[in-house]
Amino acid sequence: MNKAVDLTLTIQNQIHEVEDNLLAAIDYCYEQGWTDGLPVVPPEESRVAAMCAMEGRPDETVIAHHPATGLSLTVHSLAVNAVMAGCLPDYFPVLVAAFEAMEKERFNFHGSTASTGGSAPLIIVSGPIVDEIGMNAGVNLFGPGNRANATIGRAVRLTLMNVFQMVPDISDKSTQGNPGKYSFCIGERSDVNPWPSLAEEQGYPDGVSSVTVFAGAGFCNVENHGGNTPEAILDTVADSMANYGCISLGQSVVVLAPEHVNIIAAANWSKPEVQAYLFEHAQRSVAGIKRVGKFVEGEYRKQGLQEMHRGLLASDILVTVGGGDAGGHSAFIPSWSRSRGSIMQHQSIGVCVDC
Amino acid sequence: MRLVDPTVQGNKSSNRRAPALKDLKGKTIGLLSNRKLNADLLLQETAACLQRRYGGRILELAHKLNPSAPAPADTLTNLTPECDYLLTATGD
Repeated sequence: MNKAVDLTLTIQNQIHEVEDNLLAAIDYCYEQGWTDGLPVVPPEESRVAAMCAMEGRPDETVIAHHPATGLSLTVHSLAVNAVMAGCLPDYFPVLVAAFEAMEKERFNFHGSTASTGGSAPLIIVSGPIVDEIGMNAGVNLFGPGNRANATIGRAVRLTLMNVFQMVPDISDKSTQGNPGKYSFCIGERSDVNPWPSLAEEQGYPDGVSSVTVFAGAGFCNVENHGGNTPEAILDTVADSMANYGCISLGQSVVVLAPEHVNIIAAANWSKPEVQAYLFEHAQRSVAGIKRVGKFVEGEYRKQGLQEMHRGLLASDILVTVGGGDAGGHSAFIPSWSRSRGSIMQHQSIGVCVDC
Repeated sequence: MRLVDPTVQGNKSSNRRAPALKDLKGKTIGLLSNRKLNADLLLQETAACLQRRYGGRILELAHKLNPSAPAPADTLTNLTPECDYLLTATGD
């Protein structure tokens, strides 16, 4: 019995026999409703097998499950969607780790995939695997052009749609969506990072890479080409974080561009100092929050501060480094959750450090 | 060409609908808030309307931990024997 037949019997991924015509197969995938609107690589079974071979556990191993639909994600089903997204097998461990991170309870897998808020899981990869699989951590970080970034992020969305049935306008009720829902995956830039990597901060052993998942809302460009002090740069970031449309008790991701990082690093600021500064300055007056109708007494009491700050603690702000050498453009990504509905999670890639 | 289906079949759910109440007269009303802004108010006002019309007792408001996550099992388990019917609402 060959492996494909065995899989059909054990985990019941149906096989579709189609003519040996690639364009016809692409059209067939559209007809089946398997795509995100863009063409997919037809999930031919030998490619699926090659993807599965990158995972040490059996194909039927459950990686994640969805609490509302009761649907489960196996290694095999993830591999099928990874092939369709255009992933190379070398990318597969990142994808597995991303779903293992999303499976953690505090990520709130259901809410972050169904909500009107338009969440897209931002996937931040940190450590040596970034270079090993050729991820982009530099120029055009959030944009197109890199296969690993584009297809890992896309595979997450295809899996959410095909396996967990988080289909737009049926179970995914995003009011406006978010471009990151096509793909939202970046590498952390290490060569200009003056601070420990995310993987190191997260406590993983030397040489172990990690993936961080964050239920992100829309992307906010933070432009400052004139400021030349840490305060000037970080005041600009904090102002973006505290805009009325974004301020909440939710967490934040700040991706500092090399030009901005260089200014901060030249003044010897540590990352905790950056986080503390951002937390202190990303705030609005209670009167202002009341004026725009966003004041919630319970949230204010929970924070316990005089003004309304973004997040609950400085450590709610993930700070990382990425983007091209030129340009004073950093990024702030607010959480989808307006309160504490989803807390970012991380996972080691390709190794289990707890077992 | 043999393509592998990327979708999965869901498990057969063992859940089933509770039998419909014949009427609401004198029935105990449970309330489950999702914690969104105004949800508590909406539920309490709705329950008060029902109580005025049909009588019955209103239980103390129960809450989900956050709006977008399923209610904890013990929250539902505790409510089930106490109430004849449950109101839940989003008050966004």
